[in-house]
Amino acid sequence: MFNTLLRDDRLWLVALLAPVAIFFIAFFLLPLGRLFLIGGSGELGWGAYVAAFTDPYYIRSLVATLMLSVSVTVVTLVISGFVGVFLQRNQFSGRALLTAMLTLPLAFPGVVVGFMVIMLAGRQGLIPDVTEALTGERLVFAYSMAGLFMGYVYFSIPRTILTVMAAAEKLDPRVEEAARSLGAGQWRVVRDVLVPGLKPALLSAGAICFATAMGAFGTAFTLATRINVLPMVIYTEFTLQANIAMAAALSFVLGAITWVALLLARTSAGRTVAAAG
Amino acid sequence: MRKRGLAYWFLLALTLLVSAFLIVPVGMSILAGLTVNYFIGVESGLTLQWLAQVWSDHRHTVFLSLKIALACLFCTLLIGVPTAYVLARRQNAFTRALEELLVMPVAIPGLATALALIVMYGGMGDFRRSWSFILVGHVLFTLPFMVRSVLAVLSSIDLKTFEEGARSLGASFTQRFFGIVLPNCRSGILAGSLMVVTLSLGEFNMTLLLHTPLTPTLPVGLADAYASLRMEVGSAYTLVFFIIIIPLLVVMQWAAAPARIGTGQSR
Amino acid sequence: MGGGTRQNWNGAIKMSGAAIRLVCCGKTFADGTRALEPVNLEFDSGETVVLLGPSGCGKTTTLRIVAGLELPDPGGCVTFDGIDVTAVPIERRNVGMVFQSYALFPNMTVAQNVAYGLKVRGLSVSERELRTRELLTMMQIEPLADRHIDQLSGGQRQRVALARALAPRPRVLLLDEPLTALDARLRDTLRVEINRLLRSLGITTVYVTHDQSEAMALGDRVVVMDHGRVAQIGTPRQIYEAPATRFVAEFIGTMNVVRGEIHDGALHFVGGKLPVVNGGSVRQGEAMFRPEDLQLAEDGQPPHFGGRILVSLYQGDHTRIEIDVGNNRPIVARIAQRRDLKPGEHVHLMLSMPAILTPSNE
Repeated sequence: MFNTLLRDDRLWLVALLAPVAIFFIAFFLLPLGRLFLIGGSGELGWGAYVAAFTDPYYIRSLVATLMLSVSVTVVTLVISGFVGVFLQRNQFSGRALLTAMLTLPLAFPGVVVGFMVIMLAGRQGLIPDVTEALTGERLVFAYSMAGLFMGYVYFSIPRTILTVMAAAEKLDPRVEEAARSLGAGQWRVVRDVLVPGLKPALLSAGAICFATAMGAFGTAFTLATRINVLPMVIYTEFTLQANIAMAAALSFVLGAITWVALLLARTSAGRTVAAAG
Repeated sequence: MRKRGLAYWFLLALTLLVSAFLIVPVGMSILAGLTVNYFIGVESGLTLQWLAQVWSDHRHTVFLSLKIALACLFCTLLIGVPTAYVLARRQNAFTRALEELLVMPVAIPGLATALALIVMYGGMGDFRRSWSFILVGHVLFTLPFMVRSVLAVLSSIDLKTFEEGARSLGASFTQRFFGIVLPNCRSGILAGSLMVVTLSLGEFNMTLLLHTPLTPTLPVGLADAYASLRMEVGSAYTLVFFIIIIPLLVVMQWAAAPARIGTGQSR
Repeated sequence: MGGGTRQNWNGAIKMSGAAIRLVCCGKTFADGTRALEPVNLEFDSGETVVLLGPSGCGKTTTLRIVAGLELPDPGGCVTFDGIDVTAVPIERRNVGMVFQSYALFPNMTVAQNVAYGLKVRGLSVSERELRTRELLTMMQIEPLADRHIDQLSGGQRQRVALARALAPRPRVLLLDEPLTALDARLRDTLRVEINRLLRSLGITTVYVTHDQSEAMALGDRVVVMDHGRVAQIGTPRQIYEAPATRFVAEFIGTMNVVRGEIHDGALHFVGGKLPVVNGGSVRQGEAMFRPEDLQLAEDGQPPHFGGRILVSLYQGDHTRIEIDVGNNRPIVARIAQRRDLKPGEHVHLMLSMPAILTPSNE
C-alpha cells in the first residue's frame, strides 16, 4: 500500500510540473531557439556571431559596456561594503529610517533611475546648481557616460547593501574579538577578518551587480540614444536598422556573458538573487 | 566596547551622503511634479495641474499596468506554487536543471527575451497586439521570484513529516496539498506576490519591445514623457508611479525587516 | 595540586602572570539589563581562578571586563600588577583569550592562526616560525600545521585556540567555557590536559564554566556567582564542604536540606534526628548534609533516621537512593556499601559527620 501511495504521488508531481513545462517550452525555449537561428540567417549568416566580436563598432560598445559594468561593480561594492557593515553594526536612532531610504530604489525601473540622474545632473539639476555656486560653471553630465555610471550606481547600491547586511549579520563577532585579543587594531581586523568573512557575499553581490549593469537598458534609453552600450546597440539594430539578425546575435552574446556571471555568483554563494533592471 | 572614533563619524557621514544621493532626487522629482514652473522653482507656486494633466492623458497606462500586474500575479501563483512544491519535494539533477532554467529570463537581458518572443510569435497578429503578449514576458521574468519565495518557506518546514502524518491519517493528495501544504506556505506566497506585483509594475526592458501604441504600460509612458514632454509633466507622471509603488515597497520591507537588521551588540 | 610531567613542554612554558584586581566593577547593558552588580575580586599572579555559576549569573561579563571587551560601569576599575588598565582596550592589554566556539580564523591554516598574534606584533618570519613550532609541539598538534580549520575536530580546534592565545606570551589567560562544545568523554580527557598545562605555565588564568566538577578540578580558587553577584569565593574544598549560602550548597553537587527543631545537639524532624554542629542558641533551623556522608546503619548501631526507598539507581561503585522520610522533599543518599536496595524497602541511615546549620531565614 505504501508503494502505491508513492507511485500516486509521483504522478501528481509530474502533473504539477506540466504548467511550468508547457509555459517555458512555448514561450522561452522555442523562441530562444528560433532567435538563435535567426541570428545566423541575416546577410552575414553565422558570421553575425563572429562579427559581434570583430566588427569595431560592436567591439567598442562591448568594451564600453564591460568597462562600465566593472567600474560600477567595484565602486558599488566598496560603498555598500562600508555602509552596509556600518549600518548592521551600529545602533542609533534613525537607523531603520536610513536603511529604508537606502533600499527604497530597489524597484525603480531603469527609466525612473534615468530621470533621477536628470534631476541630479541634468540641465536644471542639483549638482550643476552646486557647482555654479562654487565655481561659476554648471557641470551637466547626465547625458554622458558619467551620468550613466551614476545611474547604474544608483540602482546597484540598494541591492548590494541588502546582501552585505545579511552577510554581516552572520559573521561571528567572536572571531573579531579573538583578533583584537591578539593585538590587531581596527584596520587589521577589517583586513584580516571582516573582508575574508564577507568575501563570498561580496563576490556574489558583485557578480549580480555586474550582470545587471551589463543588461541594463532603461537608464541608457532615458538618458540619450548617443550612449554606446551594448543593449542600446541591440535596440537600435532592431528598431532603427531592422537588422534582426544582428540584434539577435548580439543578444545572445550579451545573454551568454550575463548568464555566466550569474552562474559564477550562484556557485560561489547561496541562493539570494536580486531583481534585474 | 564601542568607542566612537574618527572612523565612526566618517562612516556615518558616508552613509548619510549615500542616503541623500538616493533619496534627494526622489524628493526633487516629487516636488517638480507639484510646482507650477520647474525652471523657476518653488517660488512659482504649488499646483495639482500637472497631476491632473497626467491623469487625464495617461491614466490608461496606469490601468493597463495594474491589469497586467494582477494577471501576472494570478499566472505566477498558478504556475509557480505547484512548481515550488515539486522542487521542495524532490532534489535531483532534473530539479536543479529546472531551477536553472527558471532563472534564465532573469539572467539574460530582457531585450533578448523580448526579441525571442517577437521572432516566434510576431506573426500572430492578434496575440502580438494584445496585452497578453506583454503578460507573457512579465510572467517569464517574475516566475522565479514567486517560486523562490515559496520554496524558501517550504524548505524551512519539515514538509516530509507533515505529509507522512497526514497520510497516516488517510489524507489524499489533494487534501494534503490544499489542507496542509498551501496554508503552510502562506508567508512565502505573500512575499512572492508583493515581489511579483512590484516587479511587473516596473518592468521596462521587455515591455518596450513587446508593447504596441495600443498597449502602453506605465514605465513605457514614463519613457515617452521624459523624452517629449515638459519636466513638470514627467515629474508628475513619476509621482503617480511612486504613489503606486512606494506603499508596496514599504510593506515588503516591513515584512522582511526583523530578519535582516541585527543588533550588532556583543553579549 | 601538583604539576604533571614536563615531557615535551621545555622552554615554551613558564610565562609570568599578572596579578589582577577588579574594584567595584558592575555592568549594565545598553538595553537596561543589569548583568553584574559591583564586585571586588583579587587574583594572585599565577593563580587559576574559576568563575562558576548558572547561565546569566554574570561570569562571562566579568571575564569580558577583565579582557577589555566590556567597560565596567563608571566607578569600576581593573588593574594588572597595580597598573590601571580599565581604559586600555583589549588590543593592547596583552591577554590571551579562548572562546567557547574557539573563533578560529576560517581563511587561515592552523599555523597561520597560531602565528597571528605574533604577526600583528611585527615579529620577523623566522621568529614567528620558531615560536609557532614551540606551541604546536606543546599542544601536540604539529602534524596539523598546514591544515585548514574546517578540517579539524572539536578537540583539535580547542588545542589550536589555546596555542594561538598563548603564542604572544600573554600575562593573563582567559577561557570562556572552552570545553562546553565537546562531548563528555573528550571533555574529561581535555580537562586533565588543561589542568596539567595551567599548572606548568605559571600564567594567571581566569576560567569560566557552569560545570562544577570542572571548576573543582581546575581551580586554585573558585568564585561562585549568582544573578550578577558573588555568592562565595574559596578553594574547591571550602566551597564543597563549607558552602556559605543555600545557593552555593545546592549548586555544587547535591545537598540535602532538612528543617526542624534544634535541641540537645541535634536537629529533630519527622523522620528522625540529625547530629548538627553548633546546635547552640538556635531553636528552629535547617541542616545541610551531602549524600555521600550517609551510610546504612549496621546492626548494633543506632540509626539517625529512616524511611522508605522511593528510587534506587545502581551505578556500579555506589547506589543512589531517594528516601521518603515524611518531608516534602526526599533525602538523597549515595550508598557505597554493597547491598541490594529495592524501592519500597524500609532503610535506616546514619550520618557519618555532623550536618551544617544554615540560618533559617535564608
